[in-house]
Amino acid sequence: MARSIDFQSILAKLRHFYRDAKRAPTFSEMKTLFGYRSKGGVSVLIPHLVQRGIFRKDAGGRLSPGKLLEGKIRLLGSVQAGFPSPAEEELTDTLSLDEFLIRKPAASYLVKVTGDSMTGAGIFPGDLVIVERGREAAHGDIVVAQVDGQWTMKFFEKHKGQVVLRAANPKYPLIRPQNELVIGGVVVANVRKYH
Amino acid sequence: MSASTINFFPASILHVDCDAFFSSVEQALRPELKGRPVVTGRERGIVACASYEAKALGVKRPMRIFEARKVCRDLVCLPSDYETYSLYSRRMFEILRRFTPAVEEYSIDEAFADLSGLRRLHRTGYAGIAWKIKEQVRQELALTVSAGLAASKILSKMASKEKKPDGFTVFRTSQLDRILDRMDLERVCGFGPNTVALLRKNGVRFVRDYTLRPEAWARGLLGKTGAELWHELRGESVYAVETAPKDDYASISKCKTFTPPSGDRDFVRAQLLRNLESAFIKLRRHGLRARSLTVFLRDREFETVGLEAAWDRSTASTVEAAGLAASLFDRIFRPGFDYRLTGVVLSKLESDRTVQYGLFDDVPRLESLRAVDRVIDSANAVYGKHALHLGTGLWIARHRQHLTERGDLPSRKTELLKGETFRQRLNVPVWQIKV
Repeated sequence: MARSIDFQSILAKLRHFYRDAKRAPTFSEMKTLFGYRSKGGVSVLIPHLVQRGIFRKDAGGRLSPGKLLEGKIRLLGSVQAGFPSPAEEELTDTLSLDEFLIRKPAASYLVKVTGDSMTGAGIFPGDLVIVERGREAAHGDIVVAQVDGQWTMKFFEKHKGQVVLRAANPKYPLIRPQNELVIGGVVVANVRKYH
Repeated sequence: MSASTINFFPASILHVDCDAFFSSVEQALRPELKGRPVVTGRERGIVACASYEAKALGVKRPMRIFEARKVCRDLVCLPSDYETYSLYSRRMFEILRRFTPAVEEYSIDEAFADLSGLRRLHRTGYAGIAWKIKEQVRQELALTVSAGLAASKILSKMASKEKKPDGFTVFRTSQLDRILDRMDLERVCGFGPNTVALLRKNGVRFVRDYTLRPEAWARGLLGKTGAELWHELRGESVYAVETAPKDDYASISKCKTFTPPSGDRDFVRAQLLRNLESAFIKLRRHGLRARSLTVFLRDREFETVGLEAAWDRSTASTVEAAGLAASLFDRIFRPGFDYRLTGVVLSKLESDRTVQYGLFDDVPRLESLRAVDRVIDSANAVYGKHALHLGTGLWIARHRQHLTERGDLPSRKTELLKGETFRQRLNVPVWQIKV
């Protein structure tokens, strides 16, 4: 039986690598990436990857990311012969809900909302917000912050160069941090599950 | 290796070690615990990890929780939440891999990273890369790590221990003479108490005394490992950073304590068989088969008895092993004794890729056992580990795993989010703040 190569999963791994490292992987990195036992296996694969536009080979034989790896054209799946199936074409460039909601997996946390200070922005008690740590807050972001020892979730705004925290609920006054303000993270998504 | 190469950092290995990992994770997720003495391990009654605040007040590992409470009255004792710790562990390794693909996951809270040749890529020196890593971990995980940078794994691990918490220490190869000069032998990981005693008898008092002896002497006294350590301690890297996930296990073991100790035969047997199931799940996940099975029981007095049996052919089947484990159990279980731990060890492991059936093997039956394993593994992949288990596992429900006091389960397992079950929860840590 001829061995078929799962180009889709290989491309997904390469894209992931390229997204993080911004360069083409070395042979030994590809060996690890694809779970091969030797670099020889990788070298057999390379011409196929070049042919498919995943890599480009320059005059000196060096590899650089091809059009497919840079994400400029759609991958048409790993079809042996004939026309690509439309279903595969549609599905190769999709995001999972995870990837859609979470941009930086290592820095993202769930916070269960208890207060009502952001109801005007559509965040209600019981909601689950995804908070990204270590991201710089910009004007208009919803942030989780510690003000004078108390944790709170508010709009982060700059009024004439001064940072203020504004609730999306008229019940709560504007907070102008007096002593200490720690931005814990930026709210990047809100998840509300009904069933 | 010639003397000239060791002057300019021949290899650069970074060892990263999280500070008081379990309790630091708890403090990161519950800001109200910051600055307070915290320990984890409440469900076992033994301190598993003490925060620096608790250590400063005299709490040590492995103290009993009630002793620790006597030492420190405001101690916060939390049940271990290994699921969340594992999520953090994975995140820490992910951050390291952004800097170098050569990362070895040494334990849940420790890693080696080979930084050789990465200076140009990151436009900074090795120390600069280490500082960047520390900063990323602090920003994204709110944890501090201690790091050590040196030319070999052994030296980098010793360096990271030099200054804790939140430390960073470089052992430059050119300064090794000075660094190792008055360093105690116990500081070398690889030198246990017996080795240290043997070395002292031979007139070696400090680490440098060891590296000054000839290599042949080290090999003669301590064998191959002694010679390897001799090179590593001189800044000549022998041990490579192993990036491949560990698949070449020599053995797989699973054991679990339960409190209070129990003399209930069915319950203890069920505990043992649950460990067997876990061990076989791991065995199959790594594509392995085992030829030998050891079961052991530890009683209230910490006395351990075990029994080993071997198959004439390797197996990966839970069902096939369960019968053997149960009969071994019957031979070591003594009525009237209370047991606190059961465990199994699978050894003589071989790859699942080449299966050699014996002449008298009932091949159709073995094939159907394989099919059963596939069903178990795929059902558990959907519904959670041990969702589909051996019938004896039902006896586990007779007692809870840990019955000492309320609150022995981590809050992550009791305060479920909508849609989560006791077996499966979201793979994102929950930050416990009130907003």
